[in-house]
Amino acid sequence: MGEKPEWLQQYNLIGKIGEGTYGLVFLAKTKSPPNCGKSIAIKKFKQSKDGDGVSPTAIREIMLLREITHENVVKLVNVHINHNDMSLYLAFDYAEHDLYEIIRHHRDKGNNMINQYTVKSLLWQLLNGLNYLHSNWIIHRDLKPSNILVMGEGEEHGVVKIADFGLARIYQAPLKTLFDNGVVVTIWYRAPELLLGAKHYTSAVDMWAVGCIFAELLTLKPLFQGAEAKSTSNPFQLDQLDKIFKVLGHPTIEKWPTLASLPHWHNDVSHIQGHKYENTGLHGAVPLSTKSASFDLLSKMLEYDPRKRITAAQAIEHDYFRSEPLPGRNALVPSQPGEKVINYPTRPVDTNTDFEGTTSLQPPQPVTSGNAISGGMPGAHGINSRSASRPMSMGVQRMQSQGMAAYNLTSQAGMGGGMNPGNIPMPRGVAQPHQQHHLRRKDPPGTGTGYPPQQKSRR
Amino acid sequence: MAANFWNSSHYKQLFDQEEVDVVHPLDKDKGITLEDFKLIKMHMVIPICKLAQQVKVRQRVVATAVTYMRRLYTRKSMSEYDPRLVAPTCLYLASKAEESTVQARLLVYCIKKMYSDDKYRYEIKDILEMEMKILEALNYYLVVFHPYRSLPQFLQDAGMNDISMTQLTWGLVNDTYRMDLILIHPPHLIALACIYTASVYREKDKTAWFEELRVDMNVVKNIAMEILDFYESHRLITDERINAAFNKLKP
Repeated sequence: MGEKPEWLQQYNLIGKIGEGTYGLVFLAKTKSPPNCGKSIAIKKFKQSKDGDGVSPTAIREIMLLREITHENVVKLVNVHINHNDMSLYLAFDYAEHDLYEIIRHHRDKGNNMINQYTVKSLLWQLLNGLNYLHSNWIIHRDLKPSNILVMGEGEEHGVVKIADFGLARIYQAPLKTLFDNGVVVTIWYRAPELLLGAKHYTSAVDMWAVGCIFAELLTLKPLFQGAEAKSTSNPFQLDQLDKIFKVLGHPTIEKWPTLASLPHWHNDVSHIQGHKYENTGLHGAVPLSTKSASFDLLSKMLEYDPRKRITAAQAIEHDYFRSEPLPGRNALVPSQPGEKVINYPTRPVDTNTDFEGTTSLQPPQPVTSGNAISGGMPGAHGINSRSASRPMSMGVQRMQSQGMAAYNLTSQAGMGGGMNPGNIPMPRGVAQPHQQHHLRRKDPPGTGTGYPPQQKSRR
Repeated sequence: MAANFWNSSHYKQLFDQEEVDVVHPLDKDKGITLEDFKLIKMHMVIPICKLAQQVKVRQRVVATAVTYMRRLYTRKSMSEYDPRLVAPTCLYLASKAEESTVQARLLVYCIKKMYSDDKYRYEIKDILEMEMKILEALNYYLVVFHPYRSLPQFLQDAGMNDISMTQLTWGLVNDTYRMDLILIHPPHLIALACIYTASVYREKDKTAWFEELRVDMNVVKNIAMEILDFYESHRLITDERINAAFNKLKP
């Protein structure tokens, strides 16, 4: 293209941090006040190949993100269009960590479990954000550790942000192969009703995923690690179901009446209903006492019948969150003095890729004279050769319209949906200063780069 | 919010009538009057409806498309954003937003089939470019609430949910998109105004029911008056008058 669009000049491009079927994710920094130096994740949507304009996925994502505001949901700060190549860019507040990286960090360190306070705070905030989405009839549909971001140092340190794409991973395979393979979405967090061919999504599918993530935070390994049956559009994943049955036992019509109406329950009678597992139980899979509040909550999230599964609203009220240690806003910094603070690694950044997605051996070209795109990050963000490829996901989708409650004359007070709908005590976890803060940004907190407040006027 | 009108961007960006009734300076230079401006917007609803029938999308997609078009012209000129391209593009964008995507190729094919007029000769590329321009002009606010959603509940509650009444009010709601009402009033008030108009027309006294509602009846009655005014004046509009307005837009 040669010519850089004007909007791009407000950012310093640091490098590429992720890649998916429909585009790339970049890390950039805001150049000018009031948010100078603020980290921004920029998701670039490519023009769809079939000559059909902006992808409907992107349209629906923007549409939703433009309407939602919640502390535990990733914040869309800007949308940009490059008319030259018809590409679309979404700019988000950047989150340094995600649960995938946090879990991996602990797993790689050996017998180093995630602190109880951190697990509880991460889970509470995840549920809090999810409750907001669900009460607004939005189902995420693809929750997994890589989609649950956690803010790095700064005013929002340790705050969970539900996002729709895995921000991480430098890819090695070129885009094309990802396209050819179709959408790669992990099945480990998929609810049993979906695996059995349920036609309709409900918010309960998200709660199943949260249950899986909860267990993974406790054990550092995926709870149901099934092998995906590829090259089929069929949602039926026998191995994944088998992994679930092995832990939870087979579901029964008595406990889950609508099971009988699920297509794959009938179609694969010999496989699914054929053999039984003995001595199953969740207690064998997680290091929790069956009498503990945490075990109770987990088992309610992993309830087979989606209609009986605990909701996000119920979950944030659960006893688990009312017992010590209480959940806090900064999930990464324990509120108890003397607890060890973990320094999580920063996200790998491929600094050799420009906004066009082309990799060069030369450092990227400056955006404007005197403003090199690369560099500018204090340490940590060198050229990284790590190659664990993780695709971005399908993203937040709208709930089926049959569940869309009509607004009515009595609901003028609005939905609430604030940061703490359950009025759960949320001690702010940043009471004591600690050594990580020496790199804290200079810009004053609370000056978001968001859109100016929408006024009731013509623009 | 995707589900709650009072928290939505739609509610936050409702306009005052005076804000909507502003002819863009570029259009004014071409001699477009406020009456021309309203006529053209009103007229462009027709091709959107026709096109929607051809590509088989629901009425809600039409309503969303018309809303996009009307919002666009609160910010942009018709000189720069040709209504004949804007109309099908708004339907294209609305079809994606309302989860019933129509291919640009199909739209272009249908337009060519419907109009022999050279002014409607647009290619796929034109629609795709305009889609991005409209997205940008709308500031990416795409969620629109419509009166259709609350209509059945109201009718049932008022004991007016027989087929004839339902059809009449539904038709009235469709016609409200010939006006700028959706930019100015919360959709449930538009629905109520349509029910009010229908009840007066069918001589059904629903005063008691309306009084029990906690809504400003003055607003409802004003909307109803505007709807009646529209029907009154609509009969007098000739093709020549519409063509004259469009001719002013020529470069």
